[in-house]
Amino acid sequence: MSSSSFRLALDLLTPVLAVVAALLIGTILVAVIHVPLPDAFESFVDGTVGSPYAIAVSLNRAVVYALVGLGFVLAARAGLTNVGGEGQIAVGGIAATAVALWGPIAGLPFGLAFIVPLLTAAIAGAAWAALAGVLKARVGTNEVISTLLLSFIAVWLVYGCVQSEALLRRPMTSAATLPESLPIPDATQVPLLTGDPAAPVTIGLVLAGILALVVAMVLNRSRFGFQLAAVGLNPIASRRAGFSYGLTVTLALALAGALGGLAGGLMLLGEQYTLRAGFSSGYGFDGLVVGLLARGSVLGVIAAALLFGFLRSAGITMEMEAGIPTALVQILQGLIILAVAGAAFWLDRRAPGSRKAP
Amino acid sequence: MTVELFAVFLGSSIRLAMPLLIAALGELVSERGGVLNMSVEGMMLAGAFGGAVGAWATGSPGLGLLCGLLAALPVALLQAVLTVGLRANQVVTGLGLNILVLGTTTLAYREIFGARSRDEIPGFATWKPPLLGDIPVFGEAVFRQVWLVYAAIPLVAVLAFVLRRTALGITLTAAGQDPRTVERAGLSVTSIRFGAVLTTGFMAALAGTFLSIGDIHTFTEGMTNGAGYLAIAAVIFGNWTVGRTVLACFLFGAATALQFQLPAMGIVVPNALLVMLPYLLAFLAVAGLVGRQTAPRALAVPHWR
Repeated sequence: MSSSSFRLALDLLTPVLAVVAALLIGTILVAVIHVPLPDAFESFVDGTVGSPYAIAVSLNRAVVYALVGLGFVLAARAGLTNVGGEGQIAVGGIAATAVALWGPIAGLPFGLAFIVPLLTAAIAGAAWAALAGVLKARVGTNEVISTLLLSFIAVWLVYGCVQSEALLRRPMTSAATLPESLPIPDATQVPLLTGDPAAPVTIGLVLAGILALVVAMVLNRSRFGFQLAAVGLNPIASRRAGFSYGLTVTLALALAGALGGLAGGLMLLGEQYTLRAGFSSGYGFDGLVVGLLARGSVLGVIAAALLFGFLRSAGITMEMEAGIPTALVQILQGLIILAVAGAAFWLDRRAPGSRKAP
Repeated sequence: MTVELFAVFLGSSIRLAMPLLIAALGELVSERGGVLNMSVEGMMLAGAFGGAVGAWATGSPGLGLLCGLLAALPVALLQAVLTVGLRANQVVTGLGLNILVLGTTTLAYREIFGARSRDEIPGFATWKPPLLGDIPVFGEAVFRQVWLVYAAIPLVAVLAFVLRRTALGITLTAAGQDPRTVERAGLSVTSIRFGAVLTTGFMAALAGTFLSIGDIHTFTEGMTNGAGYLAIAAVIFGNWTVGRTVLACFLFGAATALQFQLPAMGIVVPNALLVMLPYLLAFLAVAGLVGRQTAPRALAVPHWR
């Protein structure tokens, strides 16, 4: 076995082992909290592959994780850690809602009624993340800190938007009017792939697939991908080679933000239809973890996104059907993250060149 | 604002700032040493949980405090082993730990307390200093605080002294600025950072017990609710120095207190703006709009010998 295929095998083996171990621990925990194992197993199957609806919901969730994860991998190639997925989803959601609710949009032909809001969401996400890029280039601000802070700001921006009637809150008709936006018009909803509400998987799935391919091509086959890697590996040498450091990091973060913003737009226009405070809750941070677990590979992003998408759905069904707290899935997810993050040490040691990688 | 209201505002600002301050100073120790310790949120939650369970089971808040410290220890050890020992990505490890602690405490809380969740949990006694406490109006409202508030004062003083004036503090700062030089001087960056993370765990656990058995005498699922992240924002806004971090915590505490006070006074300010303010201020600070920011140069960078 050549050393590179050996490394690939190790890269694949680690997360698989981590998942198996976590599922074992999960089984033990289920027994500890006195839930019959068959019940737990049945609800786990129900929540993941038990019905077209369950599969569709899990896939939609995986799409969001995958988009944020792709953005993470893209920025990571330039040596940047994009912690801002949560905020990029949030501003994407705000932008998509605002545009979708704007009068003329719903009347646009050829699917533009949902394409325009989605594009706006991507642009909003890109601009939000580019802020961190500009700061990194101009002031040298650590992007981990700036994207993290931008996330918290954006999450509270959503809250502010749905609290104020001057912004996106639906008109208050009574004291019981919830702090949320009006539902977006039907024409601006992202179409379902199946056309059947019993299996509500959106065309976001196809879009994410295409974007995964594009990101893989850009990273591995394009001049821009080389530029990202050059800046990531050695900023000084890449500057000598004629690449602008500031432009590269800003573009890398902006593209990552565009993917995050798009994810937020898809969540709003494809699933939730109404902007509510905390709608992005945890999706961005889960997506970041997906990106990290993927260890720089687009295929890895897809695998991890599917895993987390189905796992999260299982958690929700297990709570409803078998009375198993979703906390259990949180524990499993935490264990998987820690196991894979910790294992990076042994994996990286085998590839001395990539010590800086996550 | 009447004098009475102002006194209440001051008192609640201090009460709200305190857990933040203790946790932020703990976080400061890690970050000065080069570890961006995102798990401060999880450490606080573990401390709050341990404190509540310990105080409830033994009937003694003192033993509760001890349980809180013990509960946060495994979190701190994991953070240290993974990020300092195994050089795992610090942010992801922190997020992983936070979700693990959230899940574990929620599950354990339901198993232990179940239907008895309304039980009163014994909390820390309050105390007011003799002279200051006798000031009319202000004495009761401002200075009557849980004893942990007063215990935090010498703690802060010692911490500031160690960071500024001792070899240990200078070595710690060096480990966050230029770990290679520290290594060349024959000191172990690994042990320094390991110790720093454990210190953060200790402080965050204290802050956590303050939340559960100091302030409101109960535990709720995920009760830290982002307080750890706020502590991180305070360290950033505080420009990684003790003095400014303490100021930042009081500022953030006051902003939180205002969220409850302004509506009571009939002043309408968007609530979201007040909640967002700490993060916004911290962002403006790192953007270089509020003086020069100097983050530790090796912050969040794993050290390879």
